[in-house]
Order: sequence, then structure tokens, then C-alpha cells
Amino acid sequence: MPNRVLPVLGLLALALVWLLNLGVIQPNRIVPGTGHGLVSAIGGAGAGLVSLILAGCVLLSLLPVRRRYLPLLALVGLSLALLPLLLEVFADRHLPDDAPYARSSIGAGFWCLLFLLSLMLIEILGRLGRGRWLQLLIIAVISGSWLWFLRGDGLESLSLVREFNARPDKFEQALWTHLALAFGAVSISACLAFFLALKMIRSVAWRRPILGAVSFLQTIPSLAVFGLLIAPLSALAAAFPALQAMGIRGIGWAPALLALVAYSLLPMVRNTFVALTEVPESLADAGRGMGMNERQLFFKLKLPLALPVIVEGVRITAIQAIGLTAVAALIGAGGFGSFIFQGLGQAAMDLVLLGALPTIALALLADALLTLLVASLKPTPAKA
Amino acid sequence: MRSWLPPVLLTALLGALSAGMPTLEPLFQWVQPDKQNVIYERESFLFLLQNHLMLVVISALIGTVAAVAGGIYATRPSGRDFLPLVSQIASIGQTFPPVAVLALAVPVLGFGEAPILVALILYGLLPILRNTLAGLEGVDATVRQAALGMGMSPFQVLLQVELPLAGRVILAGIRTSVTINIATAAIGSTIGARTLGDPVIAGLVNGNTAYVLQGAILIGLLALTVDSLFEAAEQVWDRRFLPQAAG
Repeated sequence: MPNRVLPVLGLLALALVWLLNLGVIQPNRIVPGTGHGLVSAIGGAGAGLVSLILAGCVLLSLLPVRRRYLPLLALVGLSLALLPLLLEVFADRHLPDDAPYARSSIGAGFWCLLFLLSLMLIEILGRLGRGRWLQLLIIAVISGSWLWFLRGDGLESLSLVREFNARPDKFEQALWTHLALAFGAVSISACLAFFLALKMIRSVAWRRPILGAVSFLQTIPSLAVFGLLIAPLSALAAAFPALQAMGIRGIGWAPALLALVAYSLLPMVRNTFVALTEVPESLADAGRGMGMNERQLFFKLKLPLALPVIVEGVRITAIQAIGLTAVAALIGAGGFGSFIFQGLGQAAMDLVLLGALPTIALALLADALLTLLVASLKPTPAKA
Repeated sequence: MRSWLPPVLLTALLGALSAGMPTLEPLFQWVQPDKQNVIYERESFLFLLQNHLMLVVISALIGTVAAVAGGIYATRPSGRDFLPLVSQIASIGQTFPPVAVLALAVPVLGFGEAPILVALILYGLLPILRNTLAGLEGVDATVRQAALGMGMSPFQVLLQVELPLAGRVILAGIRTSVTINIATAAIGSTIGARTLGDPVIAGLVNGNTAYVLQGAILIGLLALTVDSLFEAAEQVWDRRFLPQAAG
């Protein structure tokens, strides 16, 4: 049966890549540049090759051939991996040699191509229905290729690379700060949530207040929470110099971490509670029948069975924390958000991208790894 | 009627605080003794509240229509091919942090209200789309068969059977989407949209905690008010449509 989704995506990509600018040449960091369409950007031969590949994908997906998804996967995967080559050719053809501040940036056409090719890849992987490991392998190959291109000489003029090269230390620092804040918030809230969930399981009276409190926290917008924490924390720091010596002030990492933990509680508590209460009573009875005491029952039976759902809570929390850490840059917590807001302040869009793209990459990475972990923790049914 | 009490009270409080913030000047003077101006005056709070709400309402309306339409199309026989991709988009898209989506909208659309509206619509669409798919897919196939067997047309089945059954889940999706969008719109003042985030950002830049507090309190109150409205709506829905209530 022919696939209708891939032709739609392929034709859309073909149309957009011809209609929109593939790349932009800027004389310096701030001045808007001149855009170049497909033919102008990479020449007639390049434009022909791109169109040919897209048309090939469309044709291949329309043909009623069995096993066409594997060649399609190879074609789309390879195109995605080699996509930076377009930017390299573009920079090579158009960047003036005598202008040291000139830079090339990515145009809307390139973004659309990247987006639609990614959608095609997702669709193909879904139809193939192979294991997660194949998906991970392909994503690893594509990201590896991108990193290799970005580190190479050919893309040195790319504005994103320029912004990175201007501050490699700060980038690394931002990465560690971002990871430390997000990871710290997730681990602290995981421990807290575990005890809260145990409390809720032991006494019914605590259920509504705890759930109400954590969902209340989740409802308050992040900016408001950060803002509301400034005054109390600065008052605390002023009253207790010892706290100030630890770096706890109205702005900085302390209110950020506190707010992140508060936000992380709802998904953690909910998932931990649901996971532990939904272990079937019949299994617990079976355990008791085998002579397990309550302690063994909890650690050997309930916890392992509940673990996938608990880790699912960790996944939701981690993604959320990575995003909110970017907002925390507004109160001086550092991380990739500082590039975003600095860039917005200076109207330097490539600096914004330098903050936004790694934040998205981190969130997607956390999602992929934790989804994998959830899948591997699911109990495999015993073979008959 | 009791379910409407919290939203009414919160709305009154929100309105009163937005209009009467200047009367609280002594309180903020106490918080921030070293500043001349302790009440944010660049725009009136009522205007900021109105603008904030407008952004959220417009994006919620467009997002709901688009997401429900998309969800319906992907679950019809003619659009089934797209279902795996659409549900993948709905779940992968939600891993994108809202701030990053907001930041990405600026290079494309520039500063101001346009990029934030686009970002809010696109991002707000995803939870609604996901819940629409879940709600429609969750309708029991036998129920659908029974309705068709009673002589209903597929369109009638959709309108009179599937959508009412999926409605509660869709409503929950809209609630999630609006909660996220109120927060994202507040951050939108960093890209030039005039929302209740303005006083917070201005206060952070000038080191004026009083401004920050005023903005933060109003944003928090707005979120709680809207959330309590949805809570009340969900309760009303449950009373009207849940099977045991009818029995």
C-alpha cells in the first residue's frame, strides 16, 4: 500500500526549499543580511541534486514496492546527516574573502528542509517498527555528523559557530550550570517525592492536601515563582550571614533550584504514588504466601514493579526542569538561558540560537535516554 | 453553583489588585525602602492584564480549533495514514522547552506580539492535540458501531457520540495548554510583548523587588483564576455528562 504521508512531506519540502531563502550573508553581527534562494545559494548542480533526492523520496514512497522503507531510511538519514554540506557550499560560494566580520546564517528554507526531513525520518522509523536501538543509532549517526561538520573548518563562517567560538569557555560553563541545576532539582525532588508518596500511601488523610499543594505549585507560572522567591530569600540572606556565605541570595542559583524543585514535585509525586498503589494486591498476596515480610515485599516486589512509572515521572520532570532552567537565567542562575536573554537584549539572533538550540538538544537527549530506561525497566513476561 | 465560587472570588481579587495596586504603596515602600518609585507605572496593570489575557485567549481559541480539527482528521478513515506521525509530533513537540520555542520565533518573526502569538499557538496546540487523539481513540469501538447501526451518519456519530465522549479529555488538554501559555506569555515580555511579565523583567533589570513582586503576584493570581475556572467547568461537565450522574 503506498504511503501518503511521505509524498506530502516530500513535496512540501521541495516547494519550500525552492520558495524560501536557503541561507543569508550578513556583513556583520547585527545588520540584516541578503538572502539567497536555492539556486543562488548552492548553484544549479546543487539545487538539482537536492530536488532529485526529494523527488526520489516521493517516488520511492509512492511505488508499491515491498521493503521500500529501508532504502528510504538510508536516503533520508543520509540527507539529514549531510545537510550541513549545503551550508558549507553556500559559505564557500558567497562569503567575501576580504570581509572578516561577514558571516553566513541559516535561512528559513534550510530550517524547513531540516524540519520536514526530520518528520520524514520519524514517519519512516515508525513504519519500519524496528527496536529503539536502531532509532538511537540513526540519531547518533546524524548528530555525530552534524557535530563533525560544525567543528570542521568549512562552517567557521557560520554565525552560530562564530558566536560559539567567541565564548567557548562560557558555553562550557553554561552547559555545566544548566545540567547541575536541572539534575540537582530532579534528584532532590525525586527523594522528596518518594517520602511524600510513602506518606500518602500510609495515611489517606494526607492524600488530598499533598496532591493539592503540589498541583498548586505547578499552576503558578515560572516567572512568578522566581519573582516571588527573590524577596524572602534576600531577607533570609540578610538575616543570616552564614547563608550569604554559601551563595544563597535573592537571585542566583538558590531561588532557581528552589523553584525548580517546587515545579518538579507534581509529576514526581503523582507518578510515584500511582506506581506504588497500582501494584496488584494479588501479587502482594503471592509474595506474602512465599513468606516475604513487608520490607521484602516493598523492596523486592513493589518497587521493581513500580519503577517504570516512577522513571516516567523522572522523564517528565527532567524535560520540564531543563526548560525551566533556561527561564531561571532571568534571575541570574546562568545556564543556556543566559545566552537566550543576552541575545534578545542585544538583538543578536545567533546568540539566541546558541542558547535555544542546546536547550532543545538537552531536552530531547534526556527524553530519549529516559524513554530507553523506562522501556528496559518494564518487566518482561516470563516465557511459558 | 458552589463550584463557581472560587473563580468568582479570584476574579474579583485579581481585578481589585490590578486596579488598586497604587493604594498598596506603603506596603511596597516597606519591601523596597531605598527606591523612589515602588509602584510600576509604565503601563497600567489593567492594560497589562488585558493584553496578557488577550494573547492567551486568542492562542487558546486558534490552538483548540486547529488541534481538534487535526485530531478529528487524523482519526477519520481518510486521514488515518497521518495518525502515527501526528501523535509523534504531539509528543515530541512537547519536549521542546517553551522558552526555546519563544526564542526561536524571534529570528523568524521579529520582536513584538506576532512571534509570541505564533509560539503560543504552536506550543499550546500540542497538549490539546494529544488529548484530542487520546479522547477520540478512547471511544469504545462498539459504541461507534452501535451508533452507526442506529442509522446515524458518520458525521452525526462524530458530533453526537464521539466528541461528547472525548470532550472531558479534550477540556483537560485545553486546561494544560492554557496553564502553560499563561506562563509562556509572561516570559514573552522579554521579546517585547506587553504582558504582566513586564513589571517582573523591569524590576529584575533595575533591581526593584517591589516591581518584581507586583508582576509576580498578578501573574500567579491570573494563573490561579483561570485554573479555577477550568476546575469549575470540569465539575459542571462531570455533573452533566458522567453516566452515574444520569442514573
